Amino acid sequence: MGRRRRLLVNPAAEAGAGALPKAIAALSRSLPAGPSPEIFRRAKFDRPEAAPALWQLLFRFLSPRSIGGASASLGLEAQACLVKSALRSQGYPRQVLAQLPEDGSRGSRELLLALSWLLARGPVLERLLAQAHVQLGDEMPVCECEAVASTGPPAPHMEAEGPVDIRCVQWLMGRLRFRWRCLTASQQEQCALLSKIHLYTRGCHSDQRLGHLSVAETEMLRDPEGGRQLLRRLEHENAGLEAALQWRRGELVFWRWMDTVLGACPPEAPAAAAQPAFLPRIPERGPGQGELVARELRALQEELCEATERRRAAWEARVGGQGRGPQWSSARQALQKAVDQELAALQWAWEQDRGPARPHGPHRLVRREDEAPGGQDLQAAEVIRVLRSKEACLEAVLRQLQGQCRQELARLAGALPGLIWILPPRR
Amino acid sequence: MSIVTVQLGQCGNQIGFEVFDTLFSDSHSSQGLCSKRENEAYQASCKERFFSEEENGVPIARAVLVDMEPKVINQTLSKAAQSGRWKYGQHAYFCQKQGSGNNWAYGYSVHGPRHEESIMNLIQKEVEKCDSLSGFFIIMSMAGGTGSGIGAFVTQNLQDHYAHSLKMNQIIWPYGTGEVIVQNYNSILTLSHLYRSSDALLVHENDAVHKICAKLMNIKQISFSDINQVLAHQLGSVFQPVYSAEGSFHYRRNPLGDLMENLVPHPEFKMLGVRNIPQMSENSLAYSTFTWAGLLKHLRQMLISNAKMEEGIDWQVRPPISGLPPLGKMPLNKELHFNTSIANLAILRGKDVQSADLEGFKDPALYTSWLEPVDAFNVWKTQRAFSKYEKSASLVSNSQFLVKPLDMIVGKAWNMFASKAYLHQYTKFGIEEEDFLDSFTLLEQVVASYYNL
Repeated sequence: MGRRRRLLVNPAAEAGAGALPKAIAALSRSLPAGPSPEIFRRAKFDRPEAAPALWQLLFRFLSPRSIGGASASLGLEAQACLVKSALRSQGYPRQVLAQLPEDGSRGSRELLLALSWLLARGPVLERLLAQAHVQLGDEMPVCECEAVASTGPPAPHMEAEGPVDIRCVQWLMGRLRFRWRCLTASQQEQCALLSKIHLYTRGCHSDQRLGHLSVAETEMLRDPEGGRQLLRRLEHENAGLEAALQWRRGELVFWRWMDTVLGACPPEAPAAAAQPAFLPRIPERGPGQGELVARELRALQEELCEATERRRAAWEARVGGQGRGPQWSSARQALQKAVDQELAALQWAWEQDRGPARPHGPHRLVRREDEAPGGQDLQAAEVIRVLRSKEACLEAVLRQLQGQCRQELARLAGALPGLIWILPPRR
Repeated sequence: MSIVTVQLGQCGNQIGFEVFDTLFSDSHSSQGLCSKRENEAYQASCKERFFSEEENGVPIARAVLVDMEPKVINQTLSKAAQSGRWKYGQHAYFCQKQGSGNNWAYGYSVHGPRHEESIMNLIQKEVEKCDSLSGFFIIMSMAGGTGSGIGAFVTQNLQDHYAHSLKMNQIIWPYGTGEVIVQNYNSILTLSHLYRSSDALLVHENDAVHKICAKLMNIKQISFSDINQVLAHQLGSVFQPVYSAEGSFHYRRNPLGDLMENLVPHPEFKMLGVRNIPQMSENSLAYSTFTWAGLLKHLRQMLISNAKMEEGIDWQVRPPISGLPPLGKMPLNKELHFNTSIANLAILRGKDVQSADLEGFKDPALYTSWLEPVDAFNVWKTQRAFSKYEKSASLVSNSQFLVKPLDMIVGKAWNMFASKAYLHQYTKFGIEEEDFLDSFTLLEQVVASYYNL
């Protein structure tokens, strides 16, 4: 593992003796629930007592946002296990970490290396700070990027022990559906209440562009203690942001220090370096399975080729000499035109979707009477329109798939003579 | 979260009144056996769910009254207004000037579409008054004519317009010895339509409630009002506020959603029944004491032996011995003594409720093989006593309890259908033989599914 950071900062700038402790201290302050600088120092010398804190920090880095609240309930072993699998799925090259015991008894130097690998790869710090951001307004996401990005480590693969009664599966599906409906009802309630608050606090906000208060701001006015807590959280966030800036200014010293940490490690076994990164999507059941799957795929491909050939031959036979001649050319031209039009519409829709002004991330909800759109502002009607068109597309796909299922069921029902199929009632 | 109630027909309106009255009286009762603060939280939760605010302080029931005749609606409205404690919305009702024959098909195919807009507008107005809508109660009889037909139509409409909201139909199962000759046709048509558009069917059997009035409450001349009050008591004991979790002191926000998620997620198994213990007249109540152990033991046996009340329970019925293979497909004519449950929800209210031991309900032998007791059994509790009962327990269960009555009704209806008796009353208004056949198919499927647990 070589140094992955390019030198962006003037090396002569922070060359003083106190620069390293300052950098590490800044890093520690900018991390939410970050470990103390002492932990970093101990980790360089691979002291066991530094391991648990680093496991927990890595867990914070790697777990999806949704687990955040429940992370307290996960034991250290569970956290360590998740960290290992997440690092593997991101392609972390060092095998020593995968072999560390999960009880947090040792391995702090390896964990420190993993930590800096993550810091070097991407804006982890900024992401964590964004997640911990104190929201003053009523925020609503307008895209699904965050939901997709925060899928986190893959869930452990579970095998069913023996046949499962389908009624149990239907039961569970039904429970999910009910929960989803209750969630919808709760969201509608939230919207109704937000609307009320925005309406009632018109004219209360000092910022003219906003005009009304958000829930957090209203609470702040209503409950002074809550206001003080909010202030404390904002101050805490500010401190974190300042620390992050300080870290960015002085981080070069840290990277040089990390080189020494890497140097202090024993050399890795050569065979391990050749192992490719673990791909999480394909479940590995054993070496023989891959061959079996490949063979089956090839056989399937051959079958499909044969089937298409047969179909094509049959169609040709049926159509025969048709499709040529004067009365067909106009029909064919019309068809061509229709297809071109549809293609153009699809491309246009696609371009619209991929347009530069695609909104991202959470936006603050502001209720306004006037129609004048500000430069940065996003109109709810526009967002709704985009979502509705997406919904229509998805529904069309769903209907198509359902139609295919129905055809398949009808085919199956017809194939077994003397058997009566009673399909579930459908209005 | 609020529930909007649609009261349909004579049956639905009379019962609906008793339900709101019971809910209101209980929430304002002084014998809650709990602190003032707790009582206020209970009241507020009940109020948000079933009543809306009014300027002069009299709560308005979240309800829409529908009937083709004005008589019962007028009675209901005035009874509520006279009490002075709560009332119905001034314009929250729909009725016609004159009744229109006791005909299911007429109700479904003519009245329903004709008055669809007016009725849905009334419901929409009620929905808009809610800050958040949990779902709908639809109270109606199953075997009635016009009222049941309209009820089936309205439920279908609710499914179309409020697809995400939950719908629970409170169905009154007719007396076994009913007077209307076509009541079995009406029953199967109602049930099959509701099965398609409703989420849960909470069945109240007239026979069972009648027996409760006679044996337990010692009422000599049983009137519909008595029966409706017992029914309202059962319903209230289920839907009044309960704590959201073991050890929590916050009330559940969406009991309807939680109940449905626990009891009726499977589309083939939607029939629910309620058992409530103890039930007795107010005079006897003053002289009785109860223990949780005793109450729960009786309740469990009531469930297993399919008894509807705590008197005359068959204590011989036992769960099948575990270790034997689970009962496979049983022939339809086999006598069912043991009532297998799919899922149960126990609701305990009153003193020392934390000490109640419910292990008996977690026995896997009580349940079907494809659901573990941990998923199949749930408990809700609150310390606040219900309706002057120091301790009371209710059980809402999804079990085989209705299989035999349903099978009987389907059988009788089929016999009539096979000889084409009285069909012209239905085909005249657009309910064709095809529709009957669809209904029979669906209900046979339901019966088979429940038998084969």
